[in-house]
Amino acid sequence: MIDVVQVERTTHRMRSENSAESHVVCLVDDDPLVLNSLRHLLASDGIAARSFDKAETFLAHIEVHRVSLVVIDLWMAGMTGLEVQARLSSMCCQTHVIIMTGSEGPDDERTAMQEGAIAFFKKPFNDEEFLGSVHDALDQARSS
Amino acid sequence: MSERDRIGKGHHEKEEPFYAGQGRILEMIAASGPLADILTRIVLLMEAQADGLRCSILLLSNDGKHVRHGAAPNLPEAYVKAVDGLPIGPRVGSCGTSMYLRKPVVVTDVLTDPLWSDYRGLAKSCGLRACWSTPIISSHGDVLGSFAMYRHEPRGPNAEETRLTEAATRIASIAIERQQDHGMLREREARISLAAESADLAFWVLYPEQNTAWMSEKGRAMYGFTPDEPLTRESLVSRIHPDERAAVQTAFEQARASQQTFEMEHRIVLPYGKTRWVITRGRCLLDEYENVLEIICVTIDLSAQKQSDLQLQVQRDELARLSRIALMGEMTASLGHELNQPLAAIANNAAAARRFFDRGQIDPAILKQLLADIATASHRAGEVINGIRGMARKGKSTRSLLNLNAVIGDTLRLARSDILIRETAVVTDFDSRLPDVEVDPVQIQQVLLNLIMNALDAVEALPLAERRIIISTRSLRREIAEVSVRDFGSGLPKDRPEKVFDHFFSTKAEGTGMGLTIARSIVEAHAGMLGGEDAEGGGARFFFRLPAAQRLPVRQAA
Repeated sequence: MIDVVQVERTTHRMRSENSAESHVVCLVDDDPLVLNSLRHLLASDGIAARSFDKAETFLAHIEVHRVSLVVIDLWMAGMTGLEVQARLSSMCCQTHVIIMTGSEGPDDERTAMQEGAIAFFKKPFNDEEFLGSVHDALDQARSS
Repeated sequence: MSERDRIGKGHHEKEEPFYAGQGRILEMIAASGPLADILTRIVLLMEAQADGLRCSILLLSNDGKHVRHGAAPNLPEAYVKAVDGLPIGPRVGSCGTSMYLRKPVVVTDVLTDPLWSDYRGLAKSCGLRACWSTPIISSHGDVLGSFAMYRHEPRGPNAEETRLTEAATRIASIAIERQQDHGMLREREARISLAAESADLAFWVLYPEQNTAWMSEKGRAMYGFTPDEPLTRESLVSRIHPDERAAVQTAFEQARASQQTFEMEHRIVLPYGKTRWVITRGRCLLDEYENVLEIICVTIDLSAQKQSDLQLQVQRDELARLSRIALMGEMTASLGHELNQPLAAIANNAAAARRFFDRGQIDPAILKQLLADIATASHRAGEVINGIRGMARKGKSTRSLLNLNAVIGDTLRLARSDILIRETAVVTDFDSRLPDVEVDPVQIQQVLLNLIMNALDAVEALPLAERRIIISTRSLRREIAEVSVRDFGSGLPKDRPEKVFDHFFSTKAEGTGMGLTIARSIVEAHAGMLGGEDAEGGGARFFFRLPAAQRLPVRQAA
């Protein structure tokens, strides 16, 4: 099992380095209205992002692309943001994670941060703070 | 006032042809004229047919033992007074004896006949010599009175006088019998009235042919009629609330056609504008040709009951509303999430637009897209708020014709986020032939939410793969729509399953323990039932049944 993961990780490293078009920022939310608004917000700050309305398609995407940052909605039909986060850490990829949620459970923020999220946002959020976190994550990704 | 004055005619009416005279008298009988007048006319008509003839009509008293004055316009007043009240018997002149014996008694000379031994002096002083009396017999064979002819000379009746006697007794019999029927009717009405009054009912009878009505005292008070006011069909109809006149009319016509009792709940409007709710129950009495003779009705004043029903309804509605608000408190995720999603979209799009402007590079197509998305998100937020407001709104419960499959769909949308966050699979299994029901949509949604939230709670502790609930509908004989919500939790309390419907019973720390109690009362107020049972294969199944909405009656072509 571990071998397989290792192999896959190697593959994606090699591929992403060769791909000039790879999206460094990904957005995952099952609500298209929110998804589009996030894409526009990032675009207004000069950041291109790729949108996913299903966690599964994003996970398939990250198998083969290098992703610097993913912004994930916590509550989605099919798979929660925390589950996606857990899958990412099991893949040992260097992708930074921002979790956002429309409804906050008492332990959600703590769990997300413990699992290594760099920020946790409650919708609706302040655009300055959100973009600040995005830039921090991208700076960290560049320096690493 | 003497009878002679009242009739307003002379002693004799020879000028009036006999048959025309009989006809006039029968008309008076048909018009329910006063009996004394009718009997006087009979006597005068007979007297007019022969010179020197005097006639009288005596009545048998109610006790059947005495004679009562009927009519004797041309006999001396002293004689009339003396006869009134005499007992009947085997030797009481001609009349008392004929009533007693039930057959004609011919006394050719009162001065010698033994029947007159006690009354000879009286007869002599009045100049009466012959007296022929014939009993007046009713159609049932009862003695009603007697008709007598008197002469000043001693003799028996001739053929013409016998014929006149037959005619007189026949007409008098009709007149007296008819008057007695009226008397009995009045007595019947008085008795019913008494019964009605003591039962706090209004009793009334409408005679459609005559277009008159009789109404008990209580009824007149209830309908706002004065005690002496003549009543007609029109005056009764004028009291029915205009909105309900047509319906009352229809109910009545149907009852008349089917010869059944009709019952109508409606309002009556009193002359000074006050309305009261009444229930009227009645039936039609028909003759052999199916003409309506009488419409007999009883009316009960429901105002007091209506008032308390209304108060109860208000209390029930308010309790249901408070319970809805509590329920919405439990649905924290759905309310917050459903509102925060569109709000986030609005905030992000607005911020993006501002930033594009700040950078001085705005693509009109993108700006248009941002604004359109803001509008869409605002509408979505508005709908969520309307949904919440609908659930929390105070006000009259209103019912509409709905399909429960659609109501379940709406309810699941409302609870979407809670279902999502609890990571529970909701399986629906709808009967597409489910009959429509007439319900208050908000209240039925409340019942559904209650059952769904309870089911979500019941499966919360289960492993993810087993966490599911099944919502299904089915039609029972096309007359009942059933909805059931089945979970896979631990089932109903083992000691006493019905406990879940108790007030303040709750398995949840924050539960009010009123949810199911109120859900049940809502369903029952919709003429339905709500129950719960352990489901086969584990878990609990809660279900409610509502009667299918009545189809509007299709009018049959005549």
